[in-house]
Amino acid sequence: MSNPTDSMSSVRPDLIEKVTGRAEYITDLVVPGMLHGFVVRSPVVHARIVSIDTTAARLIEGVVDVLVGADVASFGRWGVVLKDRPIIAIDRVRYVGEPVAVVIAETVEIAENAAELVDVEYEELPRATTIREALADGAPLIHERHENLEDFYFKGGARPTQNSNVFHTYRSSVGDVDAAEAIAAHVHEDSFTFPAISHFAMEPHTVIADFQGDALTIWAGAQTPTAVQKVLSRLFGLQLAKIRVVVPFVGGGFGGKASVKIEPLVAAASWKVRRPVRVAQSISDSMLTCRRLGAEITIRTAVDAKGRILAKTAKLLLDGGAYSDTGSAVATKSANRIMGPYVMPNLRLEASAVYTNTVPGAAFRSIGGPQAVWAKESHMDNVAAAIGMDPVEFRLINMAGRGERTRPDLRPLDMDMSELVGRVTQSPVFETQGSNRRARGLAVAATDPANTPIANAIVRLKIDGSVSVSVSSIEVGQGAHATMARVAAQTLQQRFSAVTTLRTDTDIAPYDWGTGASRSTVVVGLSVESAALDAADQIFDMVADVWELPKDSLTLVEGGVSTGSEVLTFHQIFHRALGVDSGEVVGRGGITPRSKKGALAESPLFWETSAGLAEIVVDEDTGQIHVPRYASAADVGRVINRVAAEGQDEGAAAMGFGHALFEELEFDDGQPVNATPIDYTIPRITDVPPVFDTILVENGDGPGPGGAKGMGEGAILPVAPAIANALFSTYGIRITDLPMTPEKVWRALQKRK
Amino acid sequence: MTHMLPISFSLNGQTVSMEVAAHTLLIDLVRGRLGLKGTKRSCDMEVCGACTMLLDGDPISSCTTLAVDVDQREVTTIEGVTPPDGLSRVQKAFVLHGGLQCGFCTPGFIMAVTALLKANPHPTDDEIRHYLHGNLCRCTGYVKIFEAVKSLAIEHVSEDAA
Repeated sequence: MSNPTDSMSSVRPDLIEKVTGRAEYITDLVVPGMLHGFVVRSPVVHARIVSIDTTAARLIEGVVDVLVGADVASFGRWGVVLKDRPIIAIDRVRYVGEPVAVVIAETVEIAENAAELVDVEYEELPRATTIREALADGAPLIHERHENLEDFYFKGGARPTQNSNVFHTYRSSVGDVDAAEAIAAHVHEDSFTFPAISHFAMEPHTVIADFQGDALTIWAGAQTPTAVQKVLSRLFGLQLAKIRVVVPFVGGGFGGKASVKIEPLVAAASWKVRRPVRVAQSISDSMLTCRRLGAEITIRTAVDAKGRILAKTAKLLLDGGAYSDTGSAVATKSANRIMGPYVMPNLRLEASAVYTNTVPGAAFRSIGGPQAVWAKESHMDNVAAAIGMDPVEFRLINMAGRGERTRPDLRPLDMDMSELVGRVTQSPVFETQGSNRRARGLAVAATDPANTPIANAIVRLKIDGSVSVSVSSIEVGQGAHATMARVAAQTLQQRFSAVTTLRTDTDIAPYDWGTGASRSTVVVGLSVESAALDAADQIFDMVADVWELPKDSLTLVEGGVSTGSEVLTFHQIFHRALGVDSGEVVGRGGITPRSKKGALAESPLFWETSAGLAEIVVDEDTGQIHVPRYASAADVGRVINRVAAEGQDEGAAAMGFGHALFEELEFDDGQPVNATPIDYTIPRITDVPPVFDTILVENGDGPGPGGAKGMGEGAILPVAPAIANALFSTYGIRITDLPMTPEKVWRALQKRK
Repeated sequence: MTHMLPISFSLNGQTVSMEVAAHTLLIDLVRGRLGLKGTKRSCDMEVCGACTMLLDGDPISSCTTLAVDVDQREVTTIEGVTPPDGLSRVQKAFVLHGGLQCGFCTPGFIMAVTALLKANPHPTDDEIRHYLHGNLCRCTGYVKIFEAVKSLAIEHVSEDAA
């Protein structure tokens, strides 16, 4: 529960701007001379484009031009892992919703009306709309060849299978699973499915692009501005320094605005008309832009007579949609995340990402995590039941302890999962009246964030004691900008209110990998800390030089430097040192895999961990699941802003309730069934448990500033399996395909009877 | 030619008289010609509450309200409930309790809660949840939004008692 003891002076400045409506988002920006683009999308699942006739649309007054594939075919394709994507469909569409034309007009209304007059003739092609269809013998190839971009966005790349729809396969093997299974007392196997899910950020994707000769400016709600810059640079043959990406406040991302999305499309529209162009999508458009990868998962565990895990095998197939985006990484992570915090001497993991003729898959909060943890933690309870052991006990005897490795190539666990289990099971929310001990289910998760240790920061300390921080981290609600300001303020011993984090702008901010994978607090935070120390060092140098004092006698205090005997204000220091009453020092800090003697290089930088305990009540007449109580625990190392940190976990858990109970982006033979905000719903205030406990474990043992670890993605993971395990233990039914809708639960209850 | 209609209404206490096309939506008029961009457009289908304004004190979705329908009525936006200096008690509670993250749904929530507390200064837990059922938030999980609103209900009760 939050305890708002903070005074208004220490609250996040972005929150003040947001509650007053003054915060500027991409849809609030106006660039002089800006035109408006409306995207014409494919209504067909998989087809050859026979012709596009834009004549009628161009005749409408106010229409400036229409962008089609033929205009930009010469630029070739783009991607961040596999180069598989045209700027706009050229001769073929691969999913319903794929952009085929952009009508560019003086107003949105004109563009939207004219878009109806764009006449596209399609010749349908054989389709593969599910994992099964895509893997079948003789399945139509959605992409004829696969071109891997090694080390382009992530370290490594994809491992596609040529002449198939499999664009990536990841394998990991430890020990001898077959031998272990041969001597096992019990071997248990389960299969699970997980649906496509929409990110549903409240702010849909919007981009403004302004192409001016050899320079390009992009305003976007992009989570990874430097990736946008890099892709556009390669695609249009522009120098990186000529591409500026500006990111105002972002209205929700969750991975759906990571890597690169509609930026190339809008840039091409501006290139064509040589004027700024804005494309503001609707939520329905954004539901056709990207989504979480669905999955089919088979998992098998071998245990000895005492219930100790001897071997684990998992095969995961992920539905990557029509273009790969970062689906290969999602697949790899799903394999790593299906291990859990357990000791598994023998291990065989295989995950493949598969093209289908559906909306492209993309990163989404804890990539591959919810899919994997849904299967693994449901399976753990099944194994426990099969050997007649209590599921909590089964987990505890198999848990890897602090400092133990779950796999030889991954950093040892940096936390005690049994502590998290203890904290949720002892949560006071289960002591309240009416709580039912028997109607509870537990799940745990330990995931390896891909938090690429590459970041830079600039901290400028000015003569009046004010400080500016430049980073490429975006402010998407998580509070990164305030966190960076706090780190700078603490390092420089100045007031939080004296520090301003500048709006994300690649012309000003130094290179950083991007905002995602729970990395900003640790990786960018350490860069800011180091930049602030660099600034302090420069100030100390000035004082030591001018006042002829030993540097090690100097310390920073609010407004200046203490020499031990007196306090020199920054004004005095700059004035004396520079001769004029002006100036600043510019501190630079950076993190690379080589920083801290290579201590940051091993993956993961920290483990993102969580435990969830759900208590449920099922209406047996309707199959409706209610979750009256839920406790969520995460080991976050150190909390920097308690209200924000709790909010991250609560938001992640609520998203987990949606995943567990009703969210599914449905396709019927490739046609999206519910891709509108009317047909697809996210959790409402009435859908989250009325009694909710958010537990943050702090041992100050993380690699980030003050011992912080990254957080914000873990709490989504245990929710669905915890609810499913409660359903299994209490009502004797095992749901294996998400979401656990009333119909599925009711049918399972009927079958049980 | 688009058929233009004269309208006159109160926007945040100021009278606005102008001609609008019959099909103009209130959100487009306010965010566009009138330049008040605090109201956010999200679902465009009256299901998310992000574009909530008050019409004669009651919350409405401005994305599905025709501008001509506010003729002779009072419209209040997020700009209209924000004091010239500082924050309203609803805004302050959201900030202190962390009832927002990305902030895109927030102006809509502030408007809805402002209307709720005006109509019912002491809402029960169920009344709070029922009233805010039409406002979607993808970030917070609603826990801190609920706490913010709850704090206002309690605060008001104790003020009454004092």
